[in-house]
Amino acid sequence: MEKIKVTFYPDNKTIEANKGQTLLSVAISAGIYINSSCGGEGVCGRCKVILKKGEVLTQPTGRLTLEERKRGVYLACLTTVQSDLEIEIPEESRLSFDKLSPEEVELRLRGLYGESEDILSSDSLLDEVFVHSPLATKLYLELPPPDLNDRISDLERLYREIRKNYEIPIMQTGLANIRRLSELLRSADWKVTVTLGKRNGTVEIVLIEPNDTSKRNYGLAFDIGTTTICGELIDLNTKKILGTKAIYNKQAVFGPDVITRIIYAQEQDGLEKLHHALVDGMNQIIQEFIQENKIDLNDVTCVLCAGNTTMIHLLLKIEPSYIRKEPYVPTANFVPTIRAAEAGIKINPRGLLSCVPGVSSYVGGDVVAGTLSCGLYKEKDLCVLIDIGTNGEIVLGNNDFLVSCAASAGPAFEGSGVVCGMRASSGAIQKIKIDPKTYNVEYSTIGSALPRGICGSGYIDILAQMLKAGIIDKSGKIKFKNHPRIREKDFGKEFVVAFKEETSLDSDIVITEADIENLKRAKAAIFSATSILIKHMGFDFKDIAKIFIAGGFGNYLDIKNAKIIGLLPDLEEEKFIFVGNSSLAGARQILLSYPAMQKANELARKITYFELSVDPNYMEEYMAALFFPHTDILRFPNVKNLI
Amino acid sequence: MIKQHLENWSSEINTVTIGATKEEGGSCRYNIKIGGEKTLPFLFKEGSLPCKPVIAYEVWDTVPSDWPQELVRFYKDVWTNPIDWAEKVVKEYHADLICLKLAGIHPEIGKTPDEIAKLLGEILRKIDVPLIIIGCGDDQKDNLVLPICSQVTKGQRCLIGEVTQDNYRTLTASVLADGHNIIAQSPIDINIAKQLNILISDMGLPLERIVIDPTVGALGYGLEYTYSIMERLRLAGLNGDKVIASPFICFVGQETWRAKEAKAEDSEFPQWGKASRRGPLWEMITAVTLLQAGADILVMRHPEAIRKVKEYIELAYSV
Repeated sequence: MEKIKVTFYPDNKTIEANKGQTLLSVAISAGIYINSSCGGEGVCGRCKVILKKGEVLTQPTGRLTLEERKRGVYLACLTTVQSDLEIEIPEESRLSFDKLSPEEVELRLRGLYGESEDILSSDSLLDEVFVHSPLATKLYLELPPPDLNDRISDLERLYREIRKNYEIPIMQTGLANIRRLSELLRSADWKVTVTLGKRNGTVEIVLIEPNDTSKRNYGLAFDIGTTTICGELIDLNTKKILGTKAIYNKQAVFGPDVITRIIYAQEQDGLEKLHHALVDGMNQIIQEFIQENKIDLNDVTCVLCAGNTTMIHLLLKIEPSYIRKEPYVPTANFVPTIRAAEAGIKINPRGLLSCVPGVSSYVGGDVVAGTLSCGLYKEKDLCVLIDIGTNGEIVLGNNDFLVSCAASAGPAFEGSGVVCGMRASSGAIQKIKIDPKTYNVEYSTIGSALPRGICGSGYIDILAQMLKAGIIDKSGKIKFKNHPRIREKDFGKEFVVAFKEETSLDSDIVITEADIENLKRAKAAIFSATSILIKHMGFDFKDIAKIFIAGGFGNYLDIKNAKIIGLLPDLEEEKFIFVGNSSLAGARQILLSYPAMQKANELARKITYFELSVDPNYMEEYMAALFFPHTDILRFPNVKNLI
Repeated sequence: MIKQHLENWSSEINTVTIGATKEEGGSCRYNIKIGGEKTLPFLFKEGSLPCKPVIAYEVWDTVPSDWPQELVRFYKDVWTNPIDWAEKVVKEYHADLICLKLAGIHPEIGKTPDEIAKLLGEILRKIDVPLIIIGCGDDQKDNLVLPICSQVTKGQRCLIGEVTQDNYRTLTASVLADGHNIIAQSPIDINIAKQLNILISDMGLPLERIVIDPTVGALGYGLEYTYSIMERLRLAGLNGDKVIASPFICFVGQETWRAKEAKAEDSEFPQWGKASRRGPLWEMITAVTLLQAGADILVMRHPEAIRKVKEYIELAYSV
């Protein structure tokens, strides 16, 4: 096949490509990540690139203006390489993987709308419930050297000494450790630190080091989301959180949701690429932790991951395709603890990686971790946990029973798949008021920066305010034309939230009718899944005592507005409890406590999975929810008077 | 003897009045009331069914291009002139009401708003039965022409349509201002039917001025699906959901005469029997089935089919 050279600017990276390959895939192989929220379908129009030199073939698209076409702008996903090329990638087309700043992380964990006491402190829960017994424990030992009266083997000697501290009937050691044991013990003058790892019901001597390193033992907890990856560095001795970081999941270039990624995994090297994109992101977070906290990589001894089933499959490079095919069976829900290095995670080469077990293909370990950390399984009264993410999950139950389901909500509430959407980071419009008479907009942004886009909580506010002001009708269509903030475009109308001059961009921040449609579908998916699950178990919304709200933006959510748009049921406000990133909190608990891990295993077995698609009423319920707040207004009696 | 169980419905279907008499400020000989059902169709023992279902004759503003011979033979002498056509169905076939289909305003044919305004003015002068006015289905063109139809016929209390969830604001505003009724079309979907009624009534048009077109299929083309959607809407309406307690209009003719079984010529499928019997039977059976589902207005084409369905209604209502 003809080899062609493609150079990307301003990176100045040149890579060989095949004739007929799309610019998007060439850029990915060059390690350049371009925005592509539709997964390369030519729909979102975010992968604009500028042709500087060379020949390409492209397909017609309505996503480019005449003026852009004249300037040589193409959509990277629809355009194929025909000759040697020079391509410029404008800043707005780049997928930014910048991490959250410390104050943003603070906001993400504390919440902006709710008072901070509204948010459950998972640390206090941890102390109350689970004893401190981390996944990997370091133990400093001074062994008595052998003599003619005490002639047991070196390994037995080590075991004997460990058993003086811990009651461990079965221990194992890898051959590599045994091979170097005799030399190591003698050269270290019988003073060593052993790292004991809990591996699938037994204890393994993971690592033997000379001298006392027992004060330096770190672990990582990860929440691997379809759109966002959050990580925490934890001192395993003191249980202190040393740092928290969040980045976008780099897999987003291969598709916005788990389904498109599973499909991509079927392509040549697809699984490999998805795996690397994920592991790269996690390693990047780890690397930054190491540098910022000035610790040694070798002192990071374990990683605990909570993620949806697909993400865990991709992390471990396990075939995910059957997750998508009827009857939707994953390769594994319970994955044994392995060496992190086997999955490409760079910590101590012999360090351990453990994943929170999942329930089913669409209710993963993140939900189990969330159920654990919010304490739903201990409640006497009926409670619901709603995790609002790209894949929305719902758990219903109490200390008696637990049942769950999953709803594909799409990434709109995480700021993806919507024109001016962004993650909840600096410059994101997160709270809004619209004057019902003048349509003037008042907003606040995260970090009080100039606005750059709108995050999930901002969208919920906007929808509710537009409804109240009568700018949109109950089906989400913009009603009027004759106002400077309302414009008619090829793809429908749009409402200007912030004019160019107010922003840090060179364009207005808008919400389009198509955005509203996406958000409407997302909220309908979450609400109808919750409603069907509750009905299926023979209950009613009024039977629910507490609703735990989890998710990347869970903390910011304005409950009243979420009720107005019909995302959350019309219940008393005191019933709603923010738990923030409950999956990460659960992962941390499990990392720090073996009993918590056992509890998670028990929960994963105990939670019954309910497949929505087999319920004949689900589609009907979903259609009825595709309205603001709902086709059946009687279910939102308090909202009725507000809009 | 098994005891007869009678359902006690908590609500009733809205009554919609079409056409205004001279006393009411219009030019009709009479007006027609539809709806008002207090039970399911034909269950006279259970509740009152004050209004008989009615049948509207289709009249086009342009010559239909795809009507089969079996229809052409009745209308070809008049169809180049909509006034003649309307006069024929009123005088010769005794039509209860007329459904004027403005197919000619479609951009492909291109009749102008002025032409239509003139046509309507003349129809009002010469025809004295209540009027239904239907656009061409092209949103842009309908939004241009139908508001003018609404103005020209102001005070006549017509039934004008159709509006959909994506395009309802323009026409609803006109209908509201000019005192007409509206047809809300939904794609065989109970939720969208309800959503559209909410959207329209949110604009201030009373629910008593909305007629639902649930979208129907002809016999063999989804009729049973249509049936169950209409039945569910009707049950919800009788059970107290005022928002969807609207009467139904069903475009029987339009659906039937698209079906191969109705329009095929004798020569195409000799084994199917004569087209002159097969076609009207197809339309009649579709209509009668939809009456069982709760249809209040049937819009039909074949005079013989219409005569038979009328007989059926009279017979059913005489017990």
